[in-house]
Amino acid sequence: MMKTLKKLFLLQLSVLMAVCLTACSGGKSGGSTEDPSAKTVKIGVLVSDTTSAEALAFRTYYKDYIQSVYNVEFMYSDELKDAAAEQSAIDNFIANNCQAIISFASADRPAQIEKCEAEGVYYAVATGTLPADQYEKYKSYEHYVGAIGPDLPTEYQAGYDMAKHYLDAGYTKFGLFTGASVYFTEMHIYRAAGMLAAMCDAGGGSYAGKTGMDIVGQIMADGGNVNPGKIGNIEINGVVAGYDFDDAWFGKLAAVANDPNVEVLMAVGSGQTAFAGFKPEGKKLGDIDCYTKESVELMESGTLDYLAGKFSASIGPAFAATLSAVYGKPIRDKDGNALALAQGYWVATSAEDAKKYYEVDSSTTNPAYTKDMLDTLIGASYDDFAKFVSAYSFEEIKK
Amino acid sequence: MVKLKKNGRITSSALFSAAPILGLILLAAVFLLIAQIKDVNISYSLKNILNQSIITMVVATGAIYIYTLGAFDISLGASMCVSVLVGAMAYNRTGSLIVMLAVCVGCAVCISLISSVLASVFNLPVFVTTIAMLSLLNALVLVLIKVNGTGDVIQVPADAVRDINTPWFKLLVLILFTALCVLTFNYMKLGRQEKFLGGNPLCAELTGLSAKKLSIIGFAMAGLGVGLGAFLTITYAPTLSRNTAASVGMDVIIAIVFGGMPISGGARSKIWSAIIGSLSMTLLSQIMLMLNMNSGVSQMVKAVIFIAVVYVSMLSSKKNILPR
Repeated sequence: MMKTLKKLFLLQLSVLMAVCLTACSGGKSGGSTEDPSAKTVKIGVLVSDTTSAEALAFRTYYKDYIQSVYNVEFMYSDELKDAAAEQSAIDNFIANNCQAIISFASADRPAQIEKCEAEGVYYAVATGTLPADQYEKYKSYEHYVGAIGPDLPTEYQAGYDMAKHYLDAGYTKFGLFTGASVYFTEMHIYRAAGMLAAMCDAGGGSYAGKTGMDIVGQIMADGGNVNPGKIGNIEINGVVAGYDFDDAWFGKLAAVANDPNVEVLMAVGSGQTAFAGFKPEGKKLGDIDCYTKESVELMESGTLDYLAGKFSASIGPAFAATLSAVYGKPIRDKDGNALALAQGYWVATSAEDAKKYYEVDSSTTNPAYTKDMLDTLIGASYDDFAKFVSAYSFEEIKK
Repeated sequence: MVKLKKNGRITSSALFSAAPILGLILLAAVFLLIAQIKDVNISYSLKNILNQSIITMVVATGAIYIYTLGAFDISLGASMCVSVLVGAMAYNRTGSLIVMLAVCVGCAVCISLISSVLASVFNLPVFVTTIAMLSLLNALVLVLIKVNGTGDVIQVPADAVRDINTPWFKLLVLILFTALCVLTFNYMKLGRQEKFLGGNPLCAELTGLSAKKLSIIGFAMAGLGVGLGAFLTITYAPTLSRNTAASVGMDVIIAIVFGGMPISGGARSKIWSAIIGSLSMTLLSQIMLMLNMNSGVSQMVKAVIFIAVVYVSMLSSKKNILPR
């Protein structure tokens, strides 16, 4: 027994030495003139969310569709919770010879961009855009591909439009779920501000003395909180925030959902998780999220009646821009600056719309942005690229 | 370190003792083999492994003093988060890295001492006081971020720490701290007394050892490790939030167990367990990443290996003199 173990130990050491020698002596041969698409391009994907329906839909689009039609391999990070985890994940991708990184994580975007620039790895933001000051700083970085997705004014407008939809229908009593606003997530703060701004416009009042975009600053000053109260003749009779997922949190959601003084529940995201389970019949529910089988079912059952959703293929142009850069055809404006393009939502106000959107959005063979469409973006001019991205509505894409 | 031979023969207990090192060698071999096949940048990977494991190594090395006593601190991650935030705020006030280091270490040592003193004063199991500290520290993190008034993060300018965010600086910190721990744990009375107390508290007290004093010293050493880890965390990623160091507490436990440290502490405690375990854990993560495993699958693989390691460790301890 001991002899065998001893042999195993020695064998293990021998294998290690042999592998070390092989690894250290390994030289790569390669020609620079070959077709860039002939070699598999490794792309790292930074994610701060691995479980939400939206995150899963994005992942499915990249892994199940894009990876099957392009010669690329996606490497996904674990769920990244802080800046240190993001740095480690980028290091992991670089060690694995990823040529580009597409980011869905935003704990420290500047650090991500700086790191990728220093290491010579292309970097793109897949959903959302950089704040103006950051874009000014990084737009000329050689390896910064750019950002494509809903910018903050688009987020504000999404909230505004949803609230206006109900205000126009005559509803005046609201309950809100402001999600990650208390964690200072700008996307959710802007959506909430948009809702409040619509109420100010409809109710003829103000929120804490502020109207329009100024409400964003007020929410920030209040620690990301939105306070219940009256805006003219519009009432906000309950607000829940955060993602505690404990009994107290669910209790608050249930209380707001069942408050007789609330006619409409609106959520800046995850409204289906937050309110759908508690909402009594007759009350309205609007959400800004994404298209899933569950959301379609909720719309069919009448539980959900307004959904502004990102479509999973919306991250296709960011991929195309990244691949184009890897192929040596970076897409830049006339001044040589990186992409900064806004994209909006698909809005469904009926089950038929939601079903139609979901069928396209969930397809892994014929999604909203197919390979043929994305191929036109590789090596495209900035203007053509921008035109493509700006035509994001369902009707325009499927024309 | 581990003596494999007795009278010219390899003993089974010696092999069990050597298992963590053999495991590390095996993981290194597998890593290099897959890296070669998958066309991985090996030199960058090695630097990366060092970068990713060094903070856990430092914190876990200090934590060995707590685990040797048979105690268990689940508030290490929260303690580190508080130290990181307070250290960053101190830097932003003074602009001095030395002050930042001193504040990180001072804060972490104070938190550690509070845990151990509370346990001593109220005669509670240390584990219980660390649960209370965990809640308290998590609340303190939120307060600190709010008080700082810069949204949900506290930032140290990246330029300020860029020069010391190098593998050499981190290695230097690790080597100095490990040398201190090896000296006090392996070559001074303190280490022997800690092992004795961890292995048989009653006997140790009857011999005249002060459990309270040893516990306080052990926690102070752990606090020193947490403080240094906090400082290195700021240098690595100077944007700090409530999630900073969130996984450190669990990483430390896993690393210590992976490194062959008996979870009951006592005479078989080894200071090197932290370093071996941290490296093994990082190598394992790298292997799973190279294989492009889904994060859920990789968590399950880690869990299975963790249970296997604990099982093997328990098998080996059955034949020893001081079971607990």
